[in-house]
Amino acid sequence: MSNTRRGTKWGLAALVAMLAVAFALAAPHSAYALTTNKATARPNENGGSGVIGGLATRLTWEGTVEEGEKVSSVTLVLPEGGTFDGSSTKITVLEGLSRAKVEGTATPADTQLEVTFSEPIEAGYLLRLEVEGMKFPADGGEVSVGGSYVNQDGEQQLAESKPIKTIANTPLQALVATLDEAPWVQAWNSNPFLGMFFKPQLLATAFATLVPGWLLCLLIVVIAYPFAIVLGLIFALMKISKNPLLRLIAIVYINILRGTPLFLQIYIMFFGLPMMNINIDNNVLGVIVIAINASAYLAEIFRAGIQSIPQGQYEAASSLGMNYFQTMFDIILPQTIRRVIPTVTSDFITSYKDTSLLSSVGVMELMMFAKNLTSVSGNMTPYVAAAIFYLIVTLPLIKAVGYVEQRIANSERGGGPRPKGKAAVKAASAGEATPLPSELGVHFEAARDDAFGTSVSPLAPVAVQEV
Amino acid sequence: MFGKNHGHGGLTFDVPPAMDAAEAARIAFDHDLSLSKHHFVEGEHPVVRIEHLMKTFDGETQVLRDVNLNVWNGEIVVVLGPSGSGKSTMLRCINLLETPTAGHILIDDDEITGKSAKEVGLIRRDLGMVFQSFNLFPHLTALENVMIGQTKVLKKNKDEARAEAVKQLEAVGLGDRIDYKPPQLSGGQQQRVAIARAVAMHPKVLLFDEPTSALDPELVRDVLGVMRELALHGDMTMIVVTHEMGFARDVGDRVVFMEGGVVVEQGLPEQVFDNPQHDRTKQFLGSIK
Repeated sequence: MSNTRRGTKWGLAALVAMLAVAFALAAPHSAYALTTNKATARPNENGGSGVIGGLATRLTWEGTVEEGEKVSSVTLVLPEGGTFDGSSTKITVLEGLSRAKVEGTATPADTQLEVTFSEPIEAGYLLRLEVEGMKFPADGGEVSVGGSYVNQDGEQQLAESKPIKTIANTPLQALVATLDEAPWVQAWNSNPFLGMFFKPQLLATAFATLVPGWLLCLLIVVIAYPFAIVLGLIFALMKISKNPLLRLIAIVYINILRGTPLFLQIYIMFFGLPMMNINIDNNVLGVIVIAINASAYLAEIFRAGIQSIPQGQYEAASSLGMNYFQTMFDIILPQTIRRVIPTVTSDFITSYKDTSLLSSVGVMELMMFAKNLTSVSGNMTPYVAAAIFYLIVTLPLIKAVGYVEQRIANSERGGGPRPKGKAAVKAASAGEATPLPSELGVHFEAARDDAFGTSVSPLAPVAVQEV
Repeated sequence: MFGKNHGHGGLTFDVPPAMDAAEAARIAFDHDLSLSKHHFVEGEHPVVRIEHLMKTFDGETQVLRDVNLNVWNGEIVVVLGPSGSGKSTMLRCINLLETPTAGHILIDDDEITGKSAKEVGLIRRDLGMVFQSFNLFPHLTALENVMIGQTKVLKKNKDEARAEAVKQLEAVGLGDRIDYKPPQLSGGQQQRVAIARAVAMHPKVLLFDEPTSALDPELVRDVLGVMRELALHGDMTMIVVTHEMGFARDVGDRVVFMEGGVVVEQGLPEQVFDNPQHDRTKQFLGSIK
């Protein structure tokens, strides 16, 4: 009995018929239905895909005219608190893929938009209404579009659309909107360089958008670093140990990690572990990689720091009867820590910056956000914003390093002469050491390596001048 | 009857085993009786006994050839000698900062050479050392410098250690500087803290390794004053390597002159200074007068 245009299975038709009956019993007015296909809004977020309330967007509503209906008008009830520019509503009626020759007139009235058609729209036609200048409520939230329509039997209810998620119009969005309008911004952006690297609207958006990435960077390095320090200390002590096996392990560990790029280490860990069916959360793995990498550098810093402590400190501790651990933890390391604070801070800065490499394996850190924003906006400004986020942390630290270096240089004197390499230490113990003014170099790391690494021909003790 | 053959980089030493304690004490007693102002008591044993001590560096440079020396309880022994004579090395061998190549060092008749690291720690707490370059712990205050050995090594509680530290710092005239850190103190003050640090451990023997050599002349007097006080009014046994002839003459119970890794001459200060027996001693004393 039904005049099917599309080949519908009988079973399904029966089900639909049953549902229709049930629906008819429940709501007798809706015997027919203009089906709401969708209601969407064009993203109006600068460099994003969100729909922001209070800012102009375009609302698109689509519905399909069902069997046995002839729709003569549609009234959309737009969300409470929203406004729209009713003058420019675009009306499209499609039959299949071709545009039907139906004229429509849109009449705005408060939050309603009534669209009447020159002739009733037949079943199976697709009706698309595009409302320009739509501003959703500024508070954000989910909004849906409902309303009513008129068919041959009179007025019918229109099903509510699926909700559209809208973002609250934050001060930031308001700022961006203001910036968009401001003449100076337009002038500024007309300069290709300024517009590409320092676009004010995008700078504002980027600052807000990049925060989670920035926090993740900080979190990764702040969690990784204590582990790196402990690991570094262990390997430093192993490297200066008398046990050749411990020394060898430390040397291999330190040299491999310092001798290969962090980028490579990240790839090996992030792609290698899953292949061994070891699956670790990306952020956790990021912490692990950064910690391991930093530990190798810290080990060298600590080793150099420990070896920069004058031999006399060991001798003084020994002569009091202190054992290795007491000497190390009560005498040598407290002094080492003071000395290496500037170098360790520099290394911390490096590790913090190195977290950017984690973007290559999908960790959602600062660079990743900047990259995404840039690919959406086609503008370099997010990278500039990222740079500013890095600098917010690094510049004060760089300043602090300088300050601490100055303080240490001023405060540490009188610890006895510094070690002078094997030959000199031997000579000092053999004969009488020339007391060195204990000038404290902060840049001991590289220089110390050489002083301890190269073999100096042993001096006879008689060669040392007595004062 | 010779003991171990101490081969070391081409040099070979044949050193007899340490003497029997009683016999050694008797021989030492007879030997030293006329050489020291120490009040010898019949039957007493030396607190430090050095027999045939040898030390070479890198198997070729022989710094100590054959040092034999006894130091008695409460005795002040001043060691003199030119640069490279081995006097500092001998001192450093006594508390094992240098490992003797051969020979014996006995503290209260206990052999201290050839011991494990743990035993060495126990031995060293009985041997206080004052260094030429002070070697105070720069990250600790004067008070903490004097306390740390007591709390960490002797396991004294904090209050006890603090009381002792304050007492010793007051004794060296630094009662008003206890909270200063070494960099805030003059060299002389640092060295006095170092002396307090060593004394607070109540060692059996206090070793001074050229304690005034790194000081400006005007600061030397304060440090020597403290050492003099310690020598005259304490019952401390002291071995002092120094170039301060005045101190040696006034304070020393015995003066030992070393050269070429052996003890060339020893005796009462006036004997050695006024009537040296060996040419080298004469030469040395002549050169520094």
